[in-house]
Amino acid sequence: MSVELWIALLAGALGTYLIRLLPLLWMQRRLRHSRERAGTESMPAWLGVLGPMMIAAVLGVSLVPRVPDATGWIATLVGLAATLLTWRRTRSLGLPVIVGVATFGVMTLVRPMLG
Amino acid sequence: MSDHDIATSAGPAWLGGVRDSLPLLSGYIPVAVSFGLVATQAGFSSLETLAISGLIYAGASQFVFVGMVASGAPLWLAVAMTLLINLRHVVYAPNLAPWLPPSRWWPWLMHGLTDQVFALAHARLPQLAERQRVGWFCGAALLAWLSWIAGSLLGALAGEWLMAQWPLLGEVMPFALPALFLVLVVPRFTSPRWTLALCVCIAAALAFTLGGLANVGIPLAAALGGLCFFTLRAPRLPGGQR
Repeated sequence: MSVELWIALLAGALGTYLIRLLPLLWMQRRLRHSRERAGTESMPAWLGVLGPMMIAAVLGVSLVPRVPDATGWIATLVGLAATLLTWRRTRSLGLPVIVGVATFGVMTLVRPMLG
Repeated sequence: MSDHDIATSAGPAWLGGVRDSLPLLSGYIPVAVSFGLVATQAGFSSLETLAISGLIYAGASQFVFVGMVASGAPLWLAVAMTLLINLRHVVYAPNLAPWLPPSRWWPWLMHGLTDQVFALAHARLPQLAERQRVGWFCGAALLAWLSWIAGSLLGALAGEWLMAQWPLLGEVMPFALPALFLVLVVPRFTSPRWTLALCVCIAAALAFTLGGLANVGIPLAAALGGLCFFTLRAPRLPGGQR
């Protein structure tokens, strides 16, 4: 890899790091100021809504199956249903994911028979 | 582990973070293996692939960076595209900031703030005692980062062989990500207002992805969901809950 390419890689890495870091420093300063001046809104309302929305958006993006045919979608829906049902019973993080992946795996295995 | 358990569990906090981030691995490793394979096929060495994964550490943008460099695009454009794709990360740290107790470690740990780690931390940090949060985040973020690096290296060294041996595994394991995100989002469906806004957001993100706009789709869908939330009038309930 040439020196120019290494510089490009480091620029991409540093830029990505700053995108993650600088908003933290900004928000921490804002929080400090709001603590000093009691009554000031510490976190903008839109930011509190945007957090859960970003997670929902990442969920939406990740829903598209690798093989986006009818059986791929069915496997995704059944896997999600299994995840949801397990979450309703356990209210935990790990087990619903394991059950979801296992169900999706079984559906993927039987897909040739369905298709 | 239930919500109650995580708030009161004994043992090192970093171990709790490691345990909570385990589901991420089944999503990270297959994608990282794919990246390692794509990078070596594009002419990058194993060391260079490792450097890209360890330093940039942002899945989609790494594929774009490698693809653009391999196609002979100007390097400044490859960097600009990398940063543009990663720009959505700007809202992550401010959302976590209210739950981050003072520590000199946070600036360094922000390198590990990916989409998935943010989603996990956003759900878990409020449930933890303040003294546990740095350790928890450290465990979760480090495991995710190391698994991404290890997966990339594996892909660079043996990706072709792995894909040939277990093609189904690469198809099934990434389902851990939507399953995990679902578990993280579901507790937010607390009112009709939130439910509608979140559904709009999920549907919009899905539509953007199907239209080939996955990366731009994340902030756009989130903005649409937010717009929907603020446009909807919250019903006035006796208890004042919205």
